Amino acid sequence: MSHTVLVCDDAIFMRTMIGDILSQAGFEVVGEAETGVQAVEKYGQLKPDLVTMDIVMPDMGGIDAVREICKSDPDAKILMCSAMGQQALVVEAIQAGAKDFVVKPFQPSRVLEAVQRVLG
Amino acid sequence: MDPARYAALFVSEGREHLGTCNQLLRELADHPDSTEPVSGLFRAMHTLKGMAAMMGYAAITDLAHRTENLLELVRGKKVTADRALVELLSEAVDALDAGVDEVAAGREAGLSFGEVTGRIDLVAGAAEPAAEAPSAMVTAGPSVAPPRKRGGPRPQAVLVRIAADAPMPGVRALLVLQQARTLGDVEGVQPAEASFQQAGFRGEFRFWLASRRAASTIIKTLSATGEVASVTVGEEAVPEEVASGESAASGSRVQHLIRVDRRRLDALMNHVGELVVARNRLLELAADEPDSELAALGGRINRLVADIQNEVIAARLTPVWQVFDRFPRAVRDLARDLGKQVALSMEGTDIEVDRSMLDEIGDPLLHLLRNAVDHGIETPAARRAAGKAEEGRITLRGRRERNRVVFDVLDDGAGIDRAAILKKAQAAGVVGDDVDTLDDDALLRVLGRAGFSTAERVTSVSGRGVGIDVVLTRIRSLGGSVELHTVAGSGTHFTLRLPLTLVIFRALVARVGGERYVVPMAFVSETVHFSEASHADLDGRPSLVLRGDVLPTIDLREVVAYPENHVPARRPCIVLEVGDRRTALVVDALLGQREIVVEQFEAPHGMPLVFSGATILADGAPALILDAASLC
Repeated sequence: MSHTVLVCDDAIFMRTMIGDILSQAGFEVVGEAETGVQAVEKYGQLKPDLVTMDIVMPDMGGIDAVREICKSDPDAKILMCSAMGQQALVVEAIQAGAKDFVVKPFQPSRVLEAVQRVLG
Repeated sequence: MDPARYAALFVSEGREHLGTCNQLLRELADHPDSTEPVSGLFRAMHTLKGMAAMMGYAAITDLAHRTENLLELVRGKKVTADRALVELLSEAVDALDAGVDEVAAGREAGLSFGEVTGRIDLVAGAAEPAAEAPSAMVTAGPSVAPPRKRGGPRPQAVLVRIAADAPMPGVRALLVLQQARTLGDVEGVQPAEASFQQAGFRGEFRFWLASRRAASTIIKTLSATGEVASVTVGEEAVPEEVASGESAASGSRVQHLIRVDRRRLDALMNHVGELVVARNRLLELAADEPDSELAALGGRINRLVADIQNEVIAARLTPVWQVFDRFPRAVRDLARDLGKQVALSMEGTDIEVDRSMLDEIGDPLLHLLRNAVDHGIETPAARRAAGKAEEGRITLRGRRERNRVVFDVLDDGAGIDRAAILKKAQAAGVVGDDVDTLDDDALLRVLGRAGFSTAERVTSVSGRGVGIDVVLTRIRSLGGSVELHTVAGSGTHFTLRLPLTLVIFRALVARVGGERYVVPMAFVSETVHFSEASHADLDGRPSLVLRGDVLPTIDLREVVAYPENHVPARRPCIVLEVGDRRTALVVDALLGQREIVVEQFEAPHGMPLVFSGATILADGAPALILDAASLC
């Protein structure tokens, strides 16, 4: 059975690209969220195996979303998708419970490697 | 994946965000103290930056990034949102809007926002204090194991090196520590965890781990964190007592040291090279029997050889200051002889490169420095007349760029006289009479021709036919590339890019007809299929459209003059990347990645100058190494 993924990013562009990378590698993208609030809601409904999380989003950022999700499910497997120059925020996200990170611009292989690590 | 679809998405969503920006800017103009428009602008810029970066639109990424930084300063109340600022932001948004239009028209390649970028930097630079110098790395750490807890396991020393090309090594190091804490108690982390996020952190750290797990389990668990180059557990990971008072800034990493004759290391390196070739052959044999014992053994040997290779390379790494140290004196002496005033500053002198590489780059670098003193920096009188400080500045900078090492030689002198070079080149018949200006690349090609010397008068360092050509040839023979950027009146900038190690590197093997060629992976950004759909004509030359970028293409068949028969219908393309230039190289087939050992190579007379060396493939057949820089 393929792993299910929730893709959280405020840009359709990024959601499409990440979704393509993952579905071509055999993952099932079961949901998308464009705000932190949506991410938390959809995580509760869909219980995906993996979440990819943007850091800067409107209506609750990615870090607070990680905190909320991990509060309800300490085993949540969240991969942060950060941009250059956000080192401090990535650290914060990891302290909040995110398992790994990739930095934009990324190669598909980098994302898939990180996903494999997160899923263990 | 369809690149055109992403480009279209980028354009539509980019316009949407920029539209939002315009709206928010109007709000900000009306309510300068309101924080909401600034946050919205920041998010929109950030999103645009991320998308542009993914598409490889460098100019848009850069401007969006700087605008985002400026907005961050506004958010932090370091810059006031006055009328001038709103105007500047509007201009940035307009420029980005125009940029997105260019993308929509497929003309992103020539984009540049120099003017707006410059003004944003001025405003941001005035508000932002200069970055603090990174605090010195802690070298004097606890080299004695912390006391064993009653009944607890004995603490073991652990040394971790994060992969050189890992993004955000400091964060990666934090993840490794987190992982270590799942195995036992962690103590005595050095450098301190708090300094991981500083600019000086080089991805190497040690700590004591009190764990009942076997060393092999610790290594396996920590390596699984990802982007980890090596994990060492036990005696070898213990730092030697650092003498008190030893300067941390000198970068000395005192460990258990023994003296080894360099020739021994060289011999070891050569043996490892041959071992790599033998291993490749073994892996090819094993590939025919996937589930056999041979395949399992092959995999094991593969990992062991990789470990040995890394260790030998690490053992041969030498900080560049060992060679740089002789430069200041040479520059000072020459400047005095020529009656010039020159200050040389050297940066990044503690980056490490392979010993054999270091021996080879000393002369070319010294040559460029001498050139800068002799031809670049003007006499004090001329500088004064030009409104410059009498003392000229030359900078030599070493830095890492992914798995390459880069050296910059910059001077603030007169720049290279394009007109004079053009005249001379035309007189020599090197350049046609119809050419009326030389761009940086053409200039480098002309200067790189053997014997092309430009000194107006004979001095002790030039005028002897030894010039840039020697530098170019040497760097290319090392698998590297040279770039030149010169501005009349403000100076000249040479950039030398080299692989980290000389002897072994990863390469992509490609085929045309019955011949095989290899391309160093350091210059391969990706591979794509060359099809009609992605094919366009740029000024009559075949080009490849890749995610909205138009790349010139070169057919390897034409480069090596291979007869035009049996050309496959579908042909793959290797996208070569040298600096910010990209070129698509069309081949017949891709045969996969290999570790290759570079053999000394003397190009026979008349051979096209597109090869930087030769190698022996796993089956014993020789193959030529393509010089990416001369193809790009």
